[in-house]
Amino acid sequence: MTRRNLVFLLLGLLALAYPLLVWGSPVYQRLGALVLLYAIGASAWNIVGGYAGQVSIGHAVFFGVGAYSSVLAYHYLGLPPIAGMPLGILVSLLIASVIGVPTVRLAGHYFSMATIAVAELARVMTTTSDFLGGAQGLTGPTVPRTVLDLSFTSAVPYYYIFLAVLAGVLWLTWRVESSRMGFYLRAIKDNERAARSLGVAAGRYKLYAFMLSAALTSVAGGLYFAMFGFIDPDSGLGILISVKMLIMAALGGAGLLFGPLVGAAILVPLEEISNSVLGGKGAGLTFVVYGAIIMLIARFLPGGLLTLLAPLLRKKAAPGERDAA
Amino acid sequence: MRLGWFARMLALAAAGSMLSSGVMAQQTVKIGAIYPLSGNAASAGNFSKAAMELGVDIINNAHPELKDLPLAATQGLPGLNGAKIELIFADNQGTPAAGQNQALRLITEEKVVALLGAYQSGITVTASAMAERHGIPFVTPESVAANLTERGFKWFFRTTPVAGDIAKAYMEFLKERKAGGQKIDTIAIVNENTEYGTSIASVVKEEAAKNGFNVALVIPYPANATDVQPQVLQLKEKNPDVAVFVSYTSDAILYAKTMKDLDWKPAIMIADNAGFNDPSFVKTSGALVEGLINRSSFAAGKPGSLSGAINDMYKKKMGVDLDDPSGRALQGLLTLAEAINRAGSTDPAKIQAALRATDLKANQVVTGYNGVKFDEKGQNILGSSLITQMQGGAYVPVWPKDKAAGEIRLPYKGW
Amino acid sequence: MSLTLVQVIVGGLLLGAVYALFASGLTLIWGMMNVVNFAHGDFVMLAMYTAFVVWTGMGGGPAASVPIAAMLLATVGVLCYFLLVRHIMRGPMLAQILGTFGLALFLRYSAFWLFGSDFRTLPDGMLGPPFIVGGLRIDAPRLLAGGVGLIVILLLHLILTRTALGSKMLAVSEDATAAQIMGIRPEHMQAAAWALAAGATGIAGALIATFFYTSPTVGETLAIIAFVTVSLGGFGSVPGALVAGLLIGVVESLSAYLIGPVYKDVIVYILFVLVLWFRPQGLMGKA
Repeated sequence: MTRRNLVFLLLGLLALAYPLLVWGSPVYQRLGALVLLYAIGASAWNIVGGYAGQVSIGHAVFFGVGAYSSVLAYHYLGLPPIAGMPLGILVSLLIASVIGVPTVRLAGHYFSMATIAVAELARVMTTTSDFLGGAQGLTGPTVPRTVLDLSFTSAVPYYYIFLAVLAGVLWLTWRVESSRMGFYLRAIKDNERAARSLGVAAGRYKLYAFMLSAALTSVAGGLYFAMFGFIDPDSGLGILISVKMLIMAALGGAGLLFGPLVGAAILVPLEEISNSVLGGKGAGLTFVVYGAIIMLIARFLPGGLLTLLAPLLRKKAAPGERDAA
Repeated sequence: MRLGWFARMLALAAAGSMLSSGVMAQQTVKIGAIYPLSGNAASAGNFSKAAMELGVDIINNAHPELKDLPLAATQGLPGLNGAKIELIFADNQGTPAAGQNQALRLITEEKVVALLGAYQSGITVTASAMAERHGIPFVTPESVAANLTERGFKWFFRTTPVAGDIAKAYMEFLKERKAGGQKIDTIAIVNENTEYGTSIASVVKEEAAKNGFNVALVIPYPANATDVQPQVLQLKEKNPDVAVFVSYTSDAILYAKTMKDLDWKPAIMIADNAGFNDPSFVKTSGALVEGLINRSSFAAGKPGSLSGAINDMYKKKMGVDLDDPSGRALQGLLTLAEAINRAGSTDPAKIQAALRATDLKANQVVTGYNGVKFDEKGQNILGSSLITQMQGGAYVPVWPKDKAAGEIRLPYKGW
Repeated sequence: MSLTLVQVIVGGLLLGAVYALFASGLTLIWGMMNVVNFAHGDFVMLAMYTAFVVWTGMGGGPAASVPIAAMLLATVGVLCYFLLVRHIMRGPMLAQILGTFGLALFLRYSAFWLFGSDFRTLPDGMLGPPFIVGGLRIDAPRLLAGGVGLIVILLLHLILTRTALGSKMLAVSEDATAAQIMGIRPEHMQAAAWALAAGATGIAGALIATFFYTSPTVGETLAIIAFVTVSLGGFGSVPGALVAGLLIGVVESLSAYLIGPVYKDVIVYILFVLVLWFRPQGLMGKA
């Protein structure tokens, strides 16, 4: 077994065993679950933001759609929240295709601004909608009726569910990465004009990436709702959600398979732990530290932290395929 | 040698047992408090924190001058051999997720016996859900969302009156004014459109209709506005007799300024607490809103009264009067501590039972409540509000008559 | 047209002029150097606190705080350029977003730590009573902010298009290598751009402080408006920022008045999305 595969096996076993290793501490178990949850969102974002190079700062809209679909299924139909997830995925695909078509032809910053606009529009429209709970938000099942309600006291079931979903998302990403579509996306990211001139249907593939990313992000939103049991326009559609997904992916390494996971594994504990250590004193020093660290990483490791390990993890390039820089 | 060793062991054991019984006497009771200490609501959160720390001082040290207030005269909790209260604060960062995470940390790591919080109703929802799952009592001293007590929770308690009680108080006040000859035909409501503003606005509208008042205009607006001129212009056009504002601090400041800029004032201006009670608002804009009617559960009241004494202590520490939400936070802590004392134990189930049996009288609370008594949903049925009025830069209670410290001065003067 | 409606429009124009002013710094950087500055709102916040400190420390009004804020922010801008932006500029857009986002958090919570969470305002009426023109009430701070804003935007535009410095800056933004060959130091010009943009932002903040509240998180509220204004106007176009700002101000005020305040953001965002759809380069940006 190659060294690389051995490392992955060990990490995988570690991930499986983690809740048991921190058995005495519900806080650390929950922290693990949170890291995985945010990693799912960031990895979903990575498909369009990292691999396709389309920096979306409005992914919160898909996250919110996923979360709201779950709460609506519960609130109006009495179903377990996850029953709403397929609807969430469908609506996300719809929204992604509707806004994707005109926006993917926009370059760089314009695309980003358009995504911000759409997400903010969704947020303000939700605050004015009584059906969606308005600004007050909606709550989920307070007492779990069946295990399908996914309302657990311990964080351990969440951890394993999220781990499974993350594995699925990463597998999907890996399949795309090693497929023809992945090849095209890399070409588009590198130099869209050149790719087009070589016959790559850039618009179409960017749209596919956008739609896939949207669907997976809505899953993350549904899972968030399952864990926290409450959603309102700020916690479901706020711009901070979009930014966090982006930051985690970028910090770890956008366009790299495990980048988002690394980013989440650093930022989520950092935020929680510094809040616990510093937050009580109320000085907000948590965020001063957070901000400084992010700046340093952007300055010294603009490709993300994983680029430190890139030489170790790089696959042998297929013959004739140039490594994307 | 053997004897020496044995003697040393004996001495150690004796010291150990003395120490442990000493430790028992010095036991601390940990209570968690989840409040916004960063983010948009940090101003309010930090004032509440200061008020609660004052409460800890009152409980842990002897304050015989605060007669009638439970636990003031003694040091610590007599029911637990003088154990002291330790209040552990956590920042809810303004998000329901952080609130819930911190609740878990306080419960499982800090091993608190009860929780207080979390100011924003949306965060109280998630944080109290975590407490409910772990069987830890959760007391909210200030979150007013109606649904908080509709969840069938067994460990959730709320000391503050809710929107419905508040609206009734306003209507009583307005009816009295009208009977006394004040022209009150039209009412306008301007509310921020999140949980707080929307729930108060809808209840005020309901109660107004029930009492025969005409609500001519309801203007919901997005919180944290950059500009409120259009709203004020609409009001100026319709010119209602009574305007009711439901806003957080930043918007309150904007409204005060804009009303002066556009030169409009109603005959009766009512501001529902929150932003208008924030000391930041009073400091920056108090001079622009002379005569503003507010509702508060806490008012310093007459000098020498219990509330007056508490206000003096707080003012010495913070340099500003104790504001209503912070006063209610303090009352929440005192209520909880009284229950823990009565339970005589740190067992959460016993504290829960003690809370259920709480029966504080009007003279035993620092806020203007008629007392504290919880119904089966955990709601304090004796919570009530005072109507206060901004007079000379400070809020003075003016209604009901028996709790008033000043006369009602109408019409609204403004600047 | 009723007087109130005219008042709403005038209010909207004044508001829009202010939006344009603090968007102008952002569009300059964005257009010149293709850098998205997520910390822009917090630069405004710093300037607002400067105005507050000038008032409480020296009793000085805008006449003092505006130049001080302009110089202070220009310095901060240059520092940010040399310590952070210069390095992340070479990187992918993501690194820029990451870096300036970190900067935003850092500035915001440093202000929080220094000044606490309280809201601060400058005393009301420090610039005198409102002007009453034919039944319209225009308050002095907004008039000052709007008026100075227009002048600053005009000056910025003139500097960029009519001066040697401006030409050099534009040259660098178009083709840094070519400019270098012509003897222009790109880094100097980029630093100058940051100084200019941050200075304008400083003026904006000090002026806004005369009628708006200051708090550590006020940057968050203002940043989004700046971004929308810049995108609507066209990245890099200072006149575009002006037109867009005025448009947004008026649309916002009219929507709030005619339809309802909760819908004003909806209308603005729909307008924004439509413009991006049909004219992605913004109203006055380069195609």
